[in-house]
Amino acid sequence: MLTDTPLHELEMRVVYGNTLCALAAQHPNIYVLEADLSKASGTNPVFCCSYPDRFINVGVCEANMIGVAAGLAVEGKIPFCASFTPFATRRVYDQITISVAYAKANVKIVGTAPGITAGPNGGTHMCLQDLAIMRVMPHMVVLSPADAYELRACLHWMAEYEGPVYLQLLRGQLPPIFDPSYGFAPGRAQHLRSGGDVTLVSTGYMTSFARQAAEELAAEGIAVDLWHHPSIKPLDGESLAQSARRTGRVVTVENQSVLGGLGGAVCEFLAEQCPAYVSRLGVPDRFGEVATEEYLFNKHGFGVMHIKEACRTMMRRAQCRL
Amino acid sequence: MLAQSNGLTLDALRDKAKVIRRHVVEMITAAKSGHPGGSLSAADILTALYFGGVLRHDPANPLDPNRDRFILSKGHAVPVLYATLAEAGYIPVDQLTTLRQLGSTLQGHPSKADLPIMEASTGSLGQGLSVGVGMALAAKMDMADYRVYVMIGDGEAEEGQIWEAAMYAGAAKVDQLVAILDYNKCQLDGTIEEILNWEPVAEKWAAFGWHIIEINGHDMAEILRALEEARQITGKPVCIIAHTVKGEGVSFMACNNEWHGKAPTADECAKALAELA
Ligand SMILES: Cc1ncc(C[n+]2csc(CCOP(=O)(O)OP(=O)(O)O)c2C)c(N)n1
Repeated sequence: MLTDTPLHELEMRVVYGNTLCALAAQHPNIYVLEADLSKASGTNPVFCCSYPDRFINVGVCEANMIGVAAGLAVEGKIPFCASFTPFATRRVYDQITISVAYAKANVKIVGTAPGITAGPNGGTHMCLQDLAIMRVMPHMVVLSPADAYELRACLHWMAEYEGPVYLQLLRGQLPPIFDPSYGFAPGRAQHLRSGGDVTLVSTGYMTSFARQAAEELAAEGIAVDLWHHPSIKPLDGESLAQSARRTGRVVTVENQSVLGGLGGAVCEFLAEQCPAYVSRLGVPDRFGEVATEEYLFNKHGFGVMHIKEACRTMMRRAQCRL
Repeated sequence: MLAQSNGLTLDALRDKAKVIRRHVVEMITAAKSGHPGGSLSAADILTALYFGGVLRHDPANPLDPNRDRFILSKGHAVPVLYATLAEAGYIPVDQLTTLRQLGSTLQGHPSKADLPIMEASTGSLGQGLSVGVGMALAAKMDMADYRVYVMIGDGEAEEGQIWEAAMYAGAAKVDQLVAILDYNKCQLDGTIEEILNWEPVAEKWAAFGWHIIEINGHDMAEILRALEEARQITGKPVCIIAHTVKGEGVSFMACNNEWHGKAPTADECAKALAELA
């Protein structure tokens, strides 16, 4: 089960299932809840076979899953609930709001196949707002890890942290960004590259694309200050402000709508703390559709090439230091 | 005035269902993703609705206000709806293989904004029956006599909203509304029995005030009889519990839940089409 394969060679959902198994061995209170998508989440077969008594598949009943998790949490258990991103968040928004967040119940919610990675299923499954809607909920911590090591670290932290957390889980394999010793802390951004020209802020799936863009821009003589924010909430405002003060130019990129998510959080913070020019990349205010990632990157302008172009455009602007 | 057309003969209906199943297999193969199992289990019922003289509809005037409405609440089975609508003349048959292609109106789940002949946007399970209740209420408000048919999946019927709709429709005696439960015994992670056994299901719907008709959902004569009986019922909604087989019509897909959401390879497609010849 837990083989010697380097973590980054595994699918993220496999890392999710394996890590929960490892955590369950240490924490007798960890339970896994699913709503008929356990294979997609990666807890089936690994977790449900290893811990059949701590695996609850409630059926296609997301609202009930969240409520049951809240009840388990109140009784001292640590439930990890997963479904496709839209059904783990917007479908059950009021149940999460009241039974979980308002009550400060120790429930961990995992949304799989976020944003455009839901490609073949189209608009119903392509949730572009989960970071935004989860972020505006009091008591909720919102995470979007960028690789397998960070995912594992986030899950370890979630098991220890007492309170509601939402985590975006990519399904497939991702290029490694961090090393195996990576330790996660909420509200702490990761500095992936230093530069004084443009601040580039990314999260989750987009971070490896942002990293590539930053490397390629260096060859053009544009020095990017690259920050990955695994924690959308709490947001690491301190490092954001420090970087924005130096560069005066900020580009954000996320696998979400440009409204209200990472870009929104960055704008809210900067507008009040240290105004700077901001360009937000992601999907504009519209629904998803059946499409490949490449098509959607090009259509909405948030692939590597577009990140580079947004940084170049920023460079043509004067610095904004108010 | 929109009128019911005469249905095809039983033999012709069975042939039509085969053609529709062929389309389903070809479409999902071409798209390289999609849900064959739950599309095939619903094929005979959709054939009966559209070609058995049941639905009042007119492909030349698809949005006629007096048309009967059909909502596929289990939206992931939409290939069977597109295929049926193509055979009925609503969609060019050669467009079917644009399923799930870039920019196609044939989205992976029914999208009313992309394809207005879809009566509802579905695919997030559990929502279609409520929309159908609304349409049936509107029929009463507008003194229209169209009927509303909603197909729901058995896994889908685990969603709480289905029971909210069922409770309301029963209490409010919403007639002109027919729910068809595609009881193919499987959901995504396994069988209904393993995951969430909600039997006795007929008793549940009956207790909520629905008239129940239980049938073999692959027996064309039985399907037609049930739909005819449903038309005669007034004063309460009707639930047709159709016992079906997931993947029906293709031997290696039948009762094999691996085919819930997997596309056939070219070889598997050829094999399936040979069986459906
Ligand atoms: C709200 C929601 N939750 C989960 C899913 C993912 N999903 C798609 S199909 C399916 C199983 C549906 O089972 P059933 O209704 O029996 O369909 P069938 O077996 O007829 O294909 C699930 C869980 C979804 N589409 N919508």
